[in-house]
Order: sequence, then C-alpha cells, then structure tokens
Amino acid sequence: MKLLKLEFFKCRRRKIALVCAAVLAAELLWFAIDLPRQDAEDLAQGWMLLFYNLALIDAIFLPISVAVIASRNCELEHKGAALKLLETMVTPGRLYITKLTWGALVLAALLSVRSAAFAAMGAAAHFSGDIPWGKFALFTVISWAVSMMVYALQQGLSLRFANQAVALVCGIFGSFVGVMSMLFPDWLVRCVPWGYYGLLSLARMDWDPDTRFTQFFWRWPEPLDVVLLLLFGALFFIVGRTLFVRKEV
Amino acid sequence: MMEAQKEVMSVSNVIETHNLCKRYGDALRVSHLNLTVPEGSVYGFLGPNGAGKSTTLKMLLGLVRPTEGAIRILGRPTDAASRLSVLRQVGSLIESPSYYGHLTGEENLRIVQTLRGVPEKHIREALQIVRLDGQRGKRVAHYSLGMKQRLGLAAALLGYPKLLILDEPTNGLDPAGIQEMRELIESLPERFGMTVVVSSHLLSEIDQMADTVGIIREGELMFQDTLETLHGRSRHHLALRTSNNAVARELLARQSISCEEEDGFLILPILSDELTAQLTRYLSENRLGVVRLEERQKSLEDIFLELTGKAASL
Repeated sequence: MKLLKLEFFKCRRRKIALVCAAVLAAELLWFAIDLPRQDAEDLAQGWMLLFYNLALIDAIFLPISVAVIASRNCELEHKGAALKLLETMVTPGRLYITKLTWGALVLAALLSVRSAAFAAMGAAAHFSGDIPWGKFALFTVISWAVSMMVYALQQGLSLRFANQAVALVCGIFGSFVGVMSMLFPDWLVRCVPWGYYGLLSLARMDWDPDTRFTQFFWRWPEPLDVVLLLLFGALFFIVGRTLFVRKEV
Repeated sequence: MMEAQKEVMSVSNVIETHNLCKRYGDALRVSHLNLTVPEGSVYGFLGPNGAGKSTTLKMLLGLVRPTEGAIRILGRPTDAASRLSVLRQVGSLIESPSYYGHLTGEENLRIVQTLRGVPEKHIREALQIVRLDGQRGKRVAHYSLGMKQRLGLAAALLGYPKLLILDEPTNGLDPAGIQEMRELIESLPERFGMTVVVSSHLLSEIDQMADTVGIIREGELMFQDTLETLHGRSRHHLALRTSNNAVARELLARQSISCEEEDGFLILPILSDELTAQLTRYLSENRLGVVRLEERQKSLEDIFLELTGKAASL
C-alpha cells in the first residue's frame, strides 16, 4: 500500500489526469460526430449501436492511450536513473507489480468514467429502452481486462527501453492493428492482442447486402476468447517482469 | 597480489568480499576481489576509468549480480533474502544522482524517507547537511548538476546509515563544490559514526579524504591498506649524473653501491651526507665530473602509475 501511494505521489505533475481527459474527450467526440450520421433504423437499436461503436472506438484509441499512460509512469524511472536508488530499498519484482497495480487503478477509473459518460450520452440521445447498466458494467470490465493485457505489454516495453519511442510506436501500431482487425476473421483476430477490444464486443453487426439493412445483435464473449485474453496477459506480465527483474541497473 | 589483498588489521570490518568476480561475456570485469573496509574509516576506492569500481560498488548494493564470490556487509551476508534488510543501514550514490526531475528536492527525499521508514524530520536535516534547505521547494529538473549531486548525497544520508557508498561523488562539481563535498565526506565518520566508501579516479582526491585505500586495475585489487602504508612506499633516493655515467657505474659497483640508470641519471639509494661527500670526492679523483646530484622522492602519483599502469588522473 505504501508503495502504491508512492507511485501516485511520483506521478504528481505528470499530467496523467490530462491524458485521461484527452482520451475521454476524443472518444466522446468521435461518437458525437458519428451519431448524427446514423439512419433511423440504426438509431432504433441505439444501445446496441453504442456498444458496437464503443468497441470500435476502444480499438482505435485505447492501445495508444494505454501506451502513453504506461510510458508516463515508467519514463520517470529512466529520466533520473531512479532505479539505482529505488532498487536498494525495494525489490524490482515488487516495484513491477506496484506499477502494474497503479496502471490497473488508473485504467479502472478512466474506463468507469468513460462508461458513465457514454451512458449519459445514450440517455441524452433518447435511445429506446432503459440504460443497460449491467451491460455497461460488463463492457467496462471487458475494456479494462483487454486494456490491462495491453498495459502489461506496454509496461514491459517502457521499463525495458529507456527510449520511450519503442513503447509508443508499439502503441500506435496497436491502434492501427486493433481497428483493422475488426475486418479480420475471428481466428486471426485471436492472434492479435489489440484485436480483443473488438473480439470481446457485446454487440455485433450483421449487414445484409441484398436488403442493405444493418442488424445489430447482442452476444456474450466466447469463453475461449476470455481464456486467450488471460493467457496473453499472463504471458506479457511474466516476460515483462522477468526481463525487468533480471536487468542490472 | 598476496600483499595487496592482505586484510587490513581492524577491530571489525563493515564490508568484506571474498573472491568477488563479475564476468560480462568473455571479459572478467572484476576479478577475485577481497575487499575489507574497516569500521569508521573513509575507504578510498581508487582506479582508472573502466577499472571495475562502479561494477564492484553495484555488486555491494545488489544492483549487479556477482558471477562468483561472497559479500558481507555489516557482518551479514547480502543474499537475495537479506539484501534489503542489510541495505536499510546503507546509503548510496552510484555514478550519477538518482532523482525525479518533475518533483521538488523535498518531494524526492520524501520518497526515500517513506521507503526507508525513517522520521520525517530527517528530510530537513539531510537538506541542511548538504546545504540545500533553501532550494527544497524547487523542482530538481531546474537544479544545477552540483545541486543534484548534493541532493543525491542527502538521499544517501537520510536515516543516518552506518555505511555510505559513494561512487565518484565529486563528478560534475566545480572546485568549490569539490572542496565542500570532500570536507563533508571527511567529517561523516566523526559526526555521525558512519563508514564511508568513496570511489574516484583522482589520486589527489582520495589522498585528501581517505584513511584506507584500495587500488583496482582491470578488475584486480592491486593494493589495499592504510593511506599511511601507501605513503610509506614513496621512498627517497639520490639521482646522480656524471660526465660519464658508464664509468661512474663501474666505480660505484667497486664501492658496493648499487644503482640503476634511468633517463640519464644513476639512481642510488639514499646516502648519509658524509658518504655522499666521499662519493663525489671519489668520482672527481677518478676524473669524473658530477653534473647533477639530486635527492628525489617517489610521489604517490608514481606509485599509482606503477600499480595501475595509468596516469594518476585518467
């Protein structure tokens, strides 16, 4: 707990809240611009449309956002060669887990606020039916879990390489692949870590080329995909932590 | 080597290493090092750049894993299980100071204070010791290099550890800063009962503040003893130049005076005034002119050069 508090203390003036606000603003703006383009049939399926779009928006924005947040937190250790001092007072393994916990809390806060903001937006747009709070809660957990898997990868890179360009390029690549993967078949998406934003989406779309009618439908995430997500997360965590612990400072 | 690695006689040693080695690929950077740092001393760890000083100090702190050998600090082995509890009583400043540039000096020390679990008042005290209390609210990114170095020392001093390990602490300081740092380091054993290990590639620096010296070259400990013993090696001798050194050498040999030729001089052991007078008379009787006769002393720099094979400030 002491280490976790210190992690937040160290991130003073690192403008983490500003980064989160920018992510939130970008996501809301994207959806706000996209919403008026939808036709009446789509708007009739409002909440499903929103969840479908949220998965798309996450796939675009979250990989790079997660990379930036992880980088803001890890870069400070490289800048002033702080690890040489820190590792005489705390084991690198504990430090790694603390940083990951910090990331988990920041992402949980960001994604909770994000879900609340989108729920409010849906209500303001008068989508039919009550606000599906249960689905919002589940979607928040899914977004968070996928983001944590990506965060584990990004933290590993950000701590391994002092030059944060490596981690940030990976984040940009992730955003590109994440959104492109929505066009891939599921078996291929399962191989792409950033593709899980779309893969675990609660709403999907079925477009009929004959009628040119778009039908949204609810779905539950496949258990296999959840298992694969956990395996990816565990892999990134174990490899990242091992490399960090073994690294001599 | 055996002489170099003999143990310094002391009541107790704060650091003892046995056969400490570090290998990177095929290169043995630190080779079978047996350090002994007596309690309450300022131990100067001297060697040219790249000799293995920082690697050794990092091994003491557990930042670099030894390939072989054992370390005991404050009487306890520093294995993975006990490392952090041993290091609670050790302050360190390795290579460059560690800091968070976006935080103030005081905030930086608060992190160390929290992790060390020492009282909050130690922050102020440490800042006062290094004379940074007037700058405690300023972001460290805006500090000069000298101020960062002093902040690094303040972080090392927090909690008044029993042992302080400082790796080239005067790097980047101006002459006044070097003087100030030197005086501070010298005063630590008496003021706070600390033992200080300070590394440097500058012989003059170590000569001014250490009382025990370890000299390392290419990872090997070439000398380890008190500074007094090192000074004892700087023996006096006579340097003689004559109108014919070759003949003079033969004449000296006949008188059983050993000598070596070096840079146009005959190097003789120190002689009494009477013997010296007799010698010059003897040479002139043999039609040799004495051109120069000097009394010389081997400087510490010469000894350092001999031991390390490099100039004293490389």
